[in-house]
Amino acid sequence: MPYGLRDKAWSPYAAGVLIGLLQIPAFLLINTALGASSSYVTVAAHLVSLVDPAVSGIKYAAQHLEGAKNWWQVAMVAGIAAGAFISSRLSGVRRRGFSPVWTRVVGLRSLAGRTLMGVAGGFVMLLGARIADGCTSGHGISGMAQLAVGSFVAVGAMFAGGILVAMMMKRL
Amino acid sequence: MSVLGAVGVGLLMGMVFGFALEKSRVFEPGMIIGQFQFRNFIMLKIFLTAVTTGLVVLAVLNGLDLVKLSPKATLFAADVGGGLLLGAGIALAGACPGTVAAQIGAGYRDAIGTLVGGIAGAALFIHVQPVLEPLILTGGPGKLRVDVALDMPYWVTALAFAVVWVVVLVALEKWRPWRVDLGADHDGLGVPPALGGGANVPDGQDPLAVGDFKIGLRRE
Repeated sequence: MPYGLRDKAWSPYAAGVLIGLLQIPAFLLINTALGASSSYVTVAAHLVSLVDPAVSGIKYAAQHLEGAKNWWQVAMVAGIAAGAFISSRLSGVRRRGFSPVWTRVVGLRSLAGRTLMGVAGGFVMLLGARIADGCTSGHGISGMAQLAVGSFVAVGAMFAGGILVAMMMKRL
Repeated sequence: MSVLGAVGVGLLMGMVFGFALEKSRVFEPGMIIGQFQFRNFIMLKIFLTAVTTGLVVLAVLNGLDLVKLSPKATLFAADVGGGLLLGAGIALAGACPGTVAAQIGAGYRDAIGTLVGGIAGAALFIHVQPVLEPLILTGGPGKLRVDVALDMPYWVTALAFAVVWVVVLVALEKWRPWRVDLGADHDGLGVPPALGGGANVPDGQDPLAVGDFKIGLRRE
């Protein structure tokens, strides 16, 4: 059958339509657009408040600490991990360690080294996403669907930044 | 909706999202780096398809007055500066903020580092946001929208954009069929076995350059 749950790969168009359709429950049930990066602020604000309760005095942190929308997004990102886990179990394409692409493009051979690079990448990624007020989901998928001018600008800059850094790596 | 209800909806939506990210293989770092190096176009195809679907969905929902749009404010310096950093981070991480979770679910161990780095980046932003706010996070022209700027109804403009993206996608697919980009092990690297790839195809060789693959695909 086409697009079976046990298939190893679906077409990008099937996946894209499925992701786009998620705007329906997002708008109708949660009153918001798809997004992912502000969930990192919710988690970070709670973790920081464990050692520094004063963080809730920062307006931006306080806006992300509580409420249905904030926890909806944290749950959704957790759900992404669960969905990918189930999908990879069903198809039998489980991953271990890190992708071989890293050895080829930057010569990394150890999980520790690659994990450190991941930490740096994640750090820059979220810092940028929060400055821009959105990521590939919020600015990309949702902002461009809402014809927001700022989102077109942010997505253009995102691709520019990504291309610039990837071109410094070894080209395959 | 209650917090608990929202969490339930979020978990279900996330599972569908994660399923789509895993099945389409776009969570693979090889796909992301490949897109930024212009040799793999699965990420762009998924991205534009999701945007197009969203345009149609919102054209209907907003056109019928069932939902209000919630676009983000246009802040040029923040959009450009933040976007550049975001893109650089995506290239280093081999993921975007949502697909990090899919990588963890699919078993990649380095993605846990990316998640930790991301939370640390968000923690830093919480502390620098009050400093940045008066500099680049306020002012600007507000929540600018293309349809408003053109003085057109949203649903008409959205459907017009959807048509444009579909044309782009059809051309993209014709130029480079998605199966070419799957890779030898569904990770965007090498040539898919079904298309003549395998152990004896050198790393990184352009799948389109391998044998009579193009003809083979047409016969399919």
